[in-house]
Amino acid sequence: MTEIVAPRVGRTQVAEEVPAPLFEQVRRKDGDLVLTGRGGYLDDIVLPDTLHAAVLRSPHPHATIRGIDTSAARARPGVRLVLTGREARDAVGIIPHFFDPALVGGRTADFRCLAVDTVVYEGEPVAAVVAGTVHAAQAALDAVVVDYEPLPFVLDADAALEPDAPTLFDGWDDNVLIRLPFAEGDAGAVLAAAEHVLDGEIRIGRYQTAPLETRGYLASWGPDDRLTFYASTQNPHPLRSHLAEILDVPESSVRVVATRLGGGFGHKFHGYPEESLVCLLARLVGAPVKWVESREECMLVGAREFVHRFAVAYDGDGRILALRDRILGNVGALGASGGWGMTFVAGMAFPGPYRIKDYDVESVAVVTHKPPWNGARGYGKESAALAIERIVDLVAAELALDPAVVRRRNFIPPEEFPYWTAAKHLDSGRYTAALDHVLDLAGYHELRREQARERAAGRLVGVGIGFELTPEGGDFSGALLRGFDTSTVRMDPTGRATVLTGVTSPGTGNETGIAQLVAAELGISPHDVSVVQGDTDLCPYGYGNFSSRSLTVGGAAAVLAARDVRDTLARAAAVLLETPPENLVFTGGRVHALDAPERALRMRDLAGAVFRRTIALPGLDDAQLESTRTYTPSNVHNIPDEQGRWSPYPSFPYSAHVTVVEIDPDTGVVTLRGYSGVHDCGTIVNPVLVESQFLGAIAMGIGGALWEELPYGADGRLRARTFKQYLMPRAPDLPWINTGHQVTPSPFALLGMKGSGESGTAGAVASVANAVNDALAPLGVRVHEMPLSAPRVLSAIREARR
Amino acid sequence: MTATDPDAAEATPTRRMSCTVNGQHRTVECEDRQLLVEVIREQLNLKGTHIGCLNGDCGACTVELDGRIVKSCLLLAASAEGSEITTVEAMGSPGDLSDVQEAFWDNDGFQCGFCLPGHLFAARDLIGSNPDPSDDEIRHAIAGNLCRCTGYQRIVTSIRDAAARARASGA
Repeated sequence: MTEIVAPRVGRTQVAEEVPAPLFEQVRRKDGDLVLTGRGGYLDDIVLPDTLHAAVLRSPHPHATIRGIDTSAARARPGVRLVLTGREARDAVGIIPHFFDPALVGGRTADFRCLAVDTVVYEGEPVAAVVAGTVHAAQAALDAVVVDYEPLPFVLDADAALEPDAPTLFDGWDDNVLIRLPFAEGDAGAVLAAAEHVLDGEIRIGRYQTAPLETRGYLASWGPDDRLTFYASTQNPHPLRSHLAEILDVPESSVRVVATRLGGGFGHKFHGYPEESLVCLLARLVGAPVKWVESREECMLVGAREFVHRFAVAYDGDGRILALRDRILGNVGALGASGGWGMTFVAGMAFPGPYRIKDYDVESVAVVTHKPPWNGARGYGKESAALAIERIVDLVAAELALDPAVVRRRNFIPPEEFPYWTAAKHLDSGRYTAALDHVLDLAGYHELRREQARERAAGRLVGVGIGFELTPEGGDFSGALLRGFDTSTVRMDPTGRATVLTGVTSPGTGNETGIAQLVAAELGISPHDVSVVQGDTDLCPYGYGNFSSRSLTVGGAAAVLAARDVRDTLARAAAVLLETPPENLVFTGGRVHALDAPERALRMRDLAGAVFRRTIALPGLDDAQLESTRTYTPSNVHNIPDEQGRWSPYPSFPYSAHVTVVEIDPDTGVVTLRGYSGVHDCGTIVNPVLVESQFLGAIAMGIGGALWEELPYGADGRLRARTFKQYLMPRAPDLPWINTGHQVTPSPFALLGMKGSGESGTAGAVASVANAVNDALAPLGVRVHEMPLSAPRVLSAIREARR
Repeated sequence: MTATDPDAAEATPTRRMSCTVNGQHRTVECEDRQLLVEVIREQLNLKGTHIGCLNGDCGACTVELDGRIVKSCLLLAASAEGSEITTVEAMGSPGDLSDVQEAFWDNDGFQCGFCLPGHLFAARDLIGSNPDPSDDEIRHAIAGNLCRCTGYQRIVTSIRDAAARARASGA
């Protein structure tokens, strides 16, 4: 069922096929530590005499701060410091943006670690308390008296565009952050002339990734005024750069250590107020200060609230002729964190895997008085896939065609790659093959026959297809958010290798994949390769973890560096074994002559000789068993071509999904009866890790499609504040997920890797939405508001019966 | 500030508390208001028991208390006086993992690992009472735990495998 093609790794000195420790199941590194509670997450770090911070947050979505009285709080037991926004303003600068919208023609606004005069969302930090214990700090928050004057606020994106809507930021005459057009051809003309046109609207609700470990920071200033900042963050080096700027200290005086992450998913991109706040508090009290986000605080961070208003023209065979979509993204109060860019991706991902020559997509980011977004796995691709895949199904339904047939008729065929769209240069793809694979895996044709029988018996059973294109590895020039990355490989005198890399792992296991890649180059076991990530004092400058990039760029850089080390080793081995370097084979922890396997050296003896005998032995003249290399993806096109096309993403994995659901007509509850997915991320280094990413992404997509939502009340306050309201999938909620993989290597990437991690989220959202609407089809109703929660589905069923 | 405001008191009420933790008798000073998970992590310095929600929803703080698995964020530490507590650290150690832990590692039953205490204890508990659980029984046994990384499928596979190992070693 699972097709795994393992391309051979290039080796300069190999004349025969050598079994490599690649493409095999290797258990994830540090499993024994993690499984026995010795993982070392942020909150596990203990420094002597650490104090604890608590943050007072605005209860209002929009208000003026007339004054703050901290005297009672200062008198509370155990309290060491109470800090207000006015005090903080004089001590630290503004927070640089993760990616400033002004870099791409948008508006911008300044954010500080504590609000000074005005709050623009519920939960905005207004004061902080430092005390000896978390409880003492939290208790003292109650004694801080803030005099607020509530102001009018707006929560809905459409309402925020009304001329009389309250605005958020000084100097903005409306609430539009940026308008992002993505268009080719003349969609308007085609839509006006087409015989078949349909239109509609689909909404996807505010959501978040909710990693099991929330964020946390621990700041400690040394006697030399050097800051060590332990952080649950995905991007330690850019965070270091930004902290140095905010705190006005040399960047060399800041060390960021990204501890083992208990999940990231975009929630731990930097730009949060608490990062510099904790540093400032530690500086002011002269002791280490720790702050760990509560689950309730975590839930304030949103993502993915979009509306699509679309029109599509198609012919009688289901070929899509033109597409128009007006996307509205409610990005909340912007902030400096990395969320708003999802509105870019939500438009850029159009028109998905389909050959549509005339399209006109505009994605508009609108600010409102909800808390800012941060990234969420999928990063807008799930919203695009939802709209595109619903459109395909709507066309199929209008023409009474099988939705699989309509997809096949519209896919970009394999021979047309590389394929340009307005903002993508698609590397390669076999979309029909992936679709056929998943239909086969799901038993699609039997499912349809079964569905017909069950429908005849009055049951609401639906089958939904979802196809996801997942642009990965994005490169955003102008910001510390780039597509390239850097790794060092060094070998010690025992013949073991260490990789130090600028990419980080949020718990996905890319360190294991990197070790496998380096081990394959050096002919040693992955167990003899250590991978160091996240410590800015140790690792080369890099951009960390986002956009499924860690293995494809950090791993590729490590491959290049390992090849340098191997070349040095080969020259030394040639001298010691008296054979030309071309005649050497690196395998099994040894180096031997190709034509005389008995002439061999153990890697520890070879590396030991380089360290111990270079210069002393004739011919042994290079002792540098260390290399640092940067890998730059070759399929990034930052400069627009003559037609204005560009491509900030180099890598385009994709996946095909089939979901089977049944709806209880009395309750609206959707039950998942089956799920199948086929994934193509190019060359696979570790099939188990790739599959694990795919499974997790699908579960996240399902959660977002059916249950997870961050609703706001008319008072501008969040209603879901615990996991009792924010309903993530639990084990009994999910069906067995059948998976398949196909391998279509990227011709542009080292080893053909495309990126794995996000893929699955978007396809799950789309296929679940299609399945639920397919189940409701006999009733003649549709639900186009996500999540497809029981109350929403039930109200559609009742509407049909009215 | 009134005299009856408990937070205004000069000192937070504290107590001395004794229990047996991972086979060792321990006595600690704790505040009356401290949760069991806090005392396990802070006073007892056992960091493997994690805080994911402090609301009983996620299971990352699961420990075994007098033979029953409990969410230690739902108990005041004071209520554990005299009890016997086992934390995830005692389930195995690096180089000497339990069968359940080995099965999780072999089957890639975790990613970030933060939620593991709940799943490992639930797995051990299930296998203790049901040596050959079905996938449905496994899913219901871990329903009190949240995992955001795996989608649970490889956890189910891990527990299935752990049960098979237990049956094989018991046979």
